[in-house]
Amino acid sequence: MNDPSEALASAKAAADRVVKTKRLNACLTGPKDLRKSLVAQAQAAHPSGVLYGMPVAVKDNIATLDFPTTCGSKILEGYRSPYEATAVVKLRAAGALITGKTNCDEFAMGSSTEHSAYGRTLHPFDKTRVPGGSSGGSAALVAAGVVPAALGSETGGSVRQPASLCGVVGIKPTYGRVSRYGLVAFGSSLDQIGVLGRSVHDAARVLSVISGRDPKDSTCEDRDPLRLPTVPESLQGFVIGIPKEYFPADLDPAVRRACDRVIRLFREQGAAVREVSLPHTSFAVATYYILAPAEASSNLARYDGARYGPRFDGATDVRALYRATRGQGFGAEVRRRILIGTYVLSSGYYDAYYRKAQQMRALIAQDFRNAFDRGVDLLFTPTTPTAAFKAGEKLADPVAMYLSDIFTVTANLAGLPAISLPIGRAKGLPLGGQFIGQAFLEDELIEAAYALERVVPATTEA
Amino acid sequence: MSVTHDEVLKIARLAEVDVSPEALPLLAEQMSRILDYVAQINSVPASEGVKPFVPGPDAVRFRVDEVKPWPLAFGPAKLAPVFRDGFFLVPKLGQFEQEEG
Repeated sequence: MNDPSEALASAKAAADRVVKTKRLNACLTGPKDLRKSLVAQAQAAHPSGVLYGMPVAVKDNIATLDFPTTCGSKILEGYRSPYEATAVVKLRAAGALITGKTNCDEFAMGSSTEHSAYGRTLHPFDKTRVPGGSSGGSAALVAAGVVPAALGSETGGSVRQPASLCGVVGIKPTYGRVSRYGLVAFGSSLDQIGVLGRSVHDAARVLSVISGRDPKDSTCEDRDPLRLPTVPESLQGFVIGIPKEYFPADLDPAVRRACDRVIRLFREQGAAVREVSLPHTSFAVATYYILAPAEASSNLARYDGARYGPRFDGATDVRALYRATRGQGFGAEVRRRILIGTYVLSSGYYDAYYRKAQQMRALIAQDFRNAFDRGVDLLFTPTTPTAAFKAGEKLADPVAMYLSDIFTVTANLAGLPAISLPIGRAKGLPLGGQFIGQAFLEDELIEAAYALERVVPATTEA
Repeated sequence: MSVTHDEVLKIARLAEVDVSPEALPLLAEQMSRILDYVAQINSVPASEGVKPFVPGPDAVRFRVDEVKPWPLAFGPAKLAPVFRDGFFLVPKLGQFEQEEG
């Protein structure tokens, strides 16, 4: 597309689609503001951009100038960032149209998008189910065909898990591949902006645009943007590892059948398949739920009613103001994680929890290095243990909710890239499988995903 | 391990978060469950030789240390009731002194 009239038509059509899918509660931007902004963006976009006229929605924890950035939280209600995230600046420069802000679990803490102060997002296939989270709004908009791609963010699987549950593609890049400037901090050593797309190609081309060096983020690697690989004829030459810890005896039978079908396809496509072991996998969720809340308790200390968003008045002194604002402004899940994080960092518990978890993280990262050192190019695993679950099913039991990230958190702990793509259905609901690759070898991941996407029966029952 | 109500209140004070008396029992129960679950990492033998894993670049790159204008979400005029010619207008000090006297 390089015709301004087509870009304008694309902008208006995207605004119409957002209105038509309002019942999903996936987009937090009001329809009038969105339409006005989209039209202005289409008129301002330069036709030479590689994403010219492409509507891309953005998760609400990524700073934008046009729309408020609330992180799905009451504590940031109406908050407008004075600057824009580097990823969004790059999208605009490439001619993409920012199609509003998407609903998410508050401060990206959750796996179902039920923990948003602005109401839960519905699964586009079944309104009684969750779309996953925390980037559930982005996943639902892509799955509903509103946008071809959307930005999400990952701390423990928040792009791949909703991508899997909604039947779309989700890429989590290597830590340091994409600038975190303008991504509201949750767990800074884990956070990365990722992309959800209706196909591997859509997700990959958005990733290639937002990737690359950024002097505003010292944790962003000094590298050129990702170059997209060509679509391969087969998987000839790939050595794919199957980690046995990701296929426990009690794995959901439909998930197992879908994965077995994919493994047969790998062989048919000429790949070598090897069983490997990542022995510390079973400790990953526990490790994650120490480190991420610890970092969150520090990162979220800044929301105190003095600098950001609304303040809850009536307090007698400044500390009472902080406590009242944070007590009323944060939702239950965020409060719980802040308290867990404060607990594991407090005197007397630091060694038993935080320090030990740091050591476990090193062991989990070493497991991956050992597997790759033995000649494996990529690992293949299920993305989630089940298909989309019922809304409310796991709300009362935080540990059960946390376990829905069991197959995704390891890549975040090790800082590795991973991509989830649809591999089948279970009673009509999508199932996802993921490749995990070596650091900064996203091109290999994408190449393998291209090859698998061509042959996998993604919409048939497993 | 069980977290007592007093421990939750102590942690909440450290974290500067109000916890209502109604929310306390459920919060203590859920925190206990989470801490019991994560404590499983202590079943792995101590690994004193293991260095903490830090993702990202090996060395931190520093930006040039220079003063730059910092963008504001709102202009200064929105932050004060009276603003003119780039200044916040406030009552003259004498007025306060008269009020105090």
